[in-house]
Amino acid sequence: MSRSRKLAAGAVLVAAALLTAACGGGGDSGGASGGQSAQAGSGTGEIKVWGHQGEAGEVTALQQAVDSFNSSQTDVKVTLQLIPSNDYTKTVQATSADQLPDVLEYDGPLMSSFVYDGKLAPVDGLVSAATVSNQTASVKSQNTYPGDSKLYGVSMFDSGLGVYGNKKLLDAAGVKYPTGLDDAWTADEFQDALVKLAAVDPDGKVLDVKENYGGEWPTYGYLPIVNSTGNVVVKDGKAEGNLNSPAAVKAVEQFAGWRQYVDPNTDDKAFTDGRVALSWVGHWLYNPYAEALGSDLVVMPLPDFGAGTKTGQGSWAWGVGASSKNGAAAGKFLDYLMNDTNVAAMTEANAAPPGTTSVTAASALYKPGGPLELFSEQLAKTCGTNPPTESCVATPRPITPAYPVISQQFSQAFLNAYMGADAQAEFDKAAKAIDQDYEDNNGYTN
Amino acid sequence: MPRGWRGLKNTPPPMVRFPSHELEEVRVSTVSVPPVVDPTLDEPPATKRRDTKAALIMVAPAVILLLAFVVVPLIAAGWLSLHNVRLNSGRPATWFGLQNYTRLLTDPEFYRGLANNFIFAIIVVPVQTGLALGLALLLNRPLRGMSAFRTFFFMPVVFPMALVAVIWRLIYSRDTLGMLNAFLDWISFGHLGPYDWLGNAATAMLAIIIMSIWQGVGFQMIILLAGLQGISPSLYEAASIDKANRWQQFRNVTLPGLRTTLIFVVMVTTIFSFRLFDQVWILTQGGPNDATTTVMFQAVTAAFSENNVGKGAAITVVFFVIVLLITLIQRRILREEREVS
Repeated sequence: MSRSRKLAAGAVLVAAALLTAACGGGGDSGGASGGQSAQAGSGTGEIKVWGHQGEAGEVTALQQAVDSFNSSQTDVKVTLQLIPSNDYTKTVQATSADQLPDVLEYDGPLMSSFVYDGKLAPVDGLVSAATVSNQTASVKSQNTYPGDSKLYGVSMFDSGLGVYGNKKLLDAAGVKYPTGLDDAWTADEFQDALVKLAAVDPDGKVLDVKENYGGEWPTYGYLPIVNSTGNVVVKDGKAEGNLNSPAAVKAVEQFAGWRQYVDPNTDDKAFTDGRVALSWVGHWLYNPYAEALGSDLVVMPLPDFGAGTKTGQGSWAWGVGASSKNGAAAGKFLDYLMNDTNVAAMTEANAAPPGTTSVTAASALYKPGGPLELFSEQLAKTCGTNPPTESCVATPRPITPAYPVISQQFSQAFLNAYMGADAQAEFDKAAKAIDQDYEDNNGYTN
Repeated sequence: MPRGWRGLKNTPPPMVRFPSHELEEVRVSTVSVPPVVDPTLDEPPATKRRDTKAALIMVAPAVILLLAFVVVPLIAAGWLSLHNVRLNSGRPATWFGLQNYTRLLTDPEFYRGLANNFIFAIIVVPVQTGLALGLALLLNRPLRGMSAFRTFFFMPVVFPMALVAVIWRLIYSRDTLGMLNAFLDWISFGHLGPYDWLGNAATAMLAIIIMSIWQGVGFQMIILLAGLQGISPSLYEAASIDKANRWQQFRNVTLPGLRTTLIFVVMVTTIFSFRLFDQVWILTQGGPNDATTTVMFQAVTAAFSENNVGKGAAITVVFFVIVLLITLIQRRILREEREVS
């Protein structure tokens, strides 16, 4: 036998082996609509927990919760593994369902993907009824999978959007501004405010919309504009006629028109340096802003584009791995994690809106009368997955396994429109791409 | 026994006739073309066998790596592009036929990306090669501290493109804090700008081209510098004795001496410029209005942002074919030129 032929045969073998290795891995662990249930198990023993490595304060709070859980009882022992937050989601995505730990953290909008891929188990029956009923309305809606209406996670904290204002600059320009949810600016009033502010501003740039943020920010930060016209991205598995409806497109066009007043904020100091009077961003900048502006800081809802002011919602949450053999123990740990002490310590560390009603009522920032009362008020009125109406405020990002596609398509269409492209054409294109994705995946029903 | 082992050729292998120093050369050439192991040879001498073995061992790392990182991924991409595959999905891939390809080839955005790739290559290849040649000529003089200058011009190549792009984002920023706008404002006493370099469809691609050339030119410069130093000084001496002026020396000594190096540089730059991705990802995300979208950018967003691996694979397969064709055509043209001269 000739050497070259042997070599060729060997090469084919190597190629075939590598190919199977590359294509395998996923396995055929897919499930029907909704995820598999975890086995309840004995409720004792060791459980593994994966968490994302957030900011230092968040890590300390989480570590402390785990330590005190382990020392408070002897039945369950938790081992916590922290994964850097930039790699966290990719790690969970790339891990097959049977390799996932008993308890894992996940980023809110990806819950549906994980359920669809059979990676998360429902937490109903594993965590106590008291824990579930103490969750705020907004996190409950965020953690419920529409495919089977079951709860797949519990949250220690939430998130929210608003417009921060610099009182001194607003007053100097003679701008009247809202004091709460009820008198939110309409889009036209907001535009008038921009014009008035720009007239007295040295460079005419008076608004910060965090152009410097990348990643998922456009979807989180600007999707409420579409929601504020009474539209959702996808209704009954269709984006056509919803995402690209005339009202939504008109609102995006109006927002794009404000770009001339927007500071690109390359140094991320536009608001704290007093270069702009208004900053369109989330709860996470309250502390730095309050420190820089003191009593000049005002917190306002986003402008109303026709169907009432809207805000984003949703953040990291905790679920149970679908392959867990010890769901009962996982539930015990989640109950403990959601107690007032731990949720209060965590939200003290990251200044996020608490995910439980009891801690919200006691939170210095978010309790009625607190400086960020507006945020908890917005989150209490969540729209869930229903098309938004005047009476609700917080809109979750689309709760569907198609979220990655929706986020990518919306961001691209929105940014193109913001840069001056034809908004209708951009959103038509995005709606078509989203609908095609649904079609390719049988509407994500199986 | 494979057929043809007892072949018709009875001539002894040529190498035995060569004196020993030439034998080395023949061995080298055997190594570089291993598949030409002639099985028709009668009575293969022992040395020949050992050579073949050595050749196979030496070529093995290259072959294995090429198989693992080029051939296998290419086959896998071909397979993936014919299926509906979702990233990280537990569901098995389903047969999709040519669906991914028909969608791609009817998608105007894909052609926009392809056009942008060509615009980028058509501007970057000649400008960057020309600039690199100029720099190499400048830096090929016996001056004190020349290595410091060379290091200086080579430095941008050492920095990762992602890092360079982040810095250039600050340069191109559309407000007056942007370094370029601040500079224009300063030299024009406030009459120019601020311009929205990356937000304007007319300037965004140009901005990316300029930063790419700045980052990449050092690499070509170093290769050309090596080529320049390979030209014998005696040729310049002879030329100056013939009273050739600097331009004539450049035309008739430098350029012919650099021909092979230049061909290499042009081909490598072409391939590099079609890979345009990092700058676009960091500076513009394909915008504004698709003015800077590229095929690589579309492939990456399809596969890793939309989790549509099948679509991403189809884009890379089509793109591979296009780049392969361009490289083949380029080789053809450049080789003909070489033969003519």
